[in-house]
Amino acid sequence: MAANPIHSYTLVITGAPYSTQAPQTALSFARAAIAAGHTVDRVFLYGDGVHLASSLCAPPSDETHWPTEWSTFLTDNGIPGVACIASALRRGLVNESERKRYELSASNLLKPFIIAGLGEWVEGNMASSRTLYFHAGG
Amino acid sequence: MGTLMVIDQPPYGIWAGREALDMAFSLAAFDQPVSILFTGAGVNWLRTYQDTREINQKSVEKNLSAAPIFGVEAMYACARACTQYGLGPENMVDGVVLAENSSDLIRQHSHTAFAG
Repeated sequence: MAANPIHSYTLVITGAPYSTQAPQTALSFARAAIAAGHTVDRVFLYGDGVHLASSLCAPPSDETHWPTEWSTFLTDNGIPGVACIASALRRGLVNESERKRYELSASNLLKPFIIAGLGEWVEGNMASSRTLYFHAGG
Repeated sequence: MGTLMVIDQPPYGIWAGREALDMAFSLAAFDQPVSILFTGAGVNWLRTYQDTREINQKSVEKNLSAAPIFGVEAMYACARACTQYGLGPENMVDGVVLAENSSDLIRQHSHTAFAG
């Protein structure tokens, strides 16, 4: 029997937590992929997906805190999490340097997420053997 | 080969199409081969003389006209969707190739992506 090929994945999440299941589905996939011996190179948040990187989400205590779940998963596995800067700025997700640049009242980027351009997605496309998308409705 | 960005959302009322276009331009800016397929309500992106003054939105025509400048290799439109939305040579922007079979087109590319 031929061995299953090992893949490296870039995951793109475009659905927001609490309005879509995309972050949850993506996390289940990422855990399963790593458990099966694959690697996750990076996670790229685009469009409404950037809400996953907010440090200001406060869901009811009997619901899963998806930003925290993702933050812990990324940190434990040493996986970079990147929020698209254009999507993030439009939706009120900023790190400290963007807060200063735009003279905003607060910053709210959850660690270990960083803010960067679409070039990170392009690089992921090139470097990983698979790029998977988790959209609203996924 | 290359990436096929699929825009299946109308140009107004939802942001996903604009974000898909940004993805396509970003690939092209990094010299990665990319083409765009407009399908479903997305074919309305290709309509000429879009007058958006009354909806207080920027017309997407100017964004789209930058595609060849960025290096987007080709723009395809699903022929069936064009018929459905009443788009023909008389009211469609130049340089669009009609695709009779989108699944063939998808097979010709190594990646397919939607913005949402």
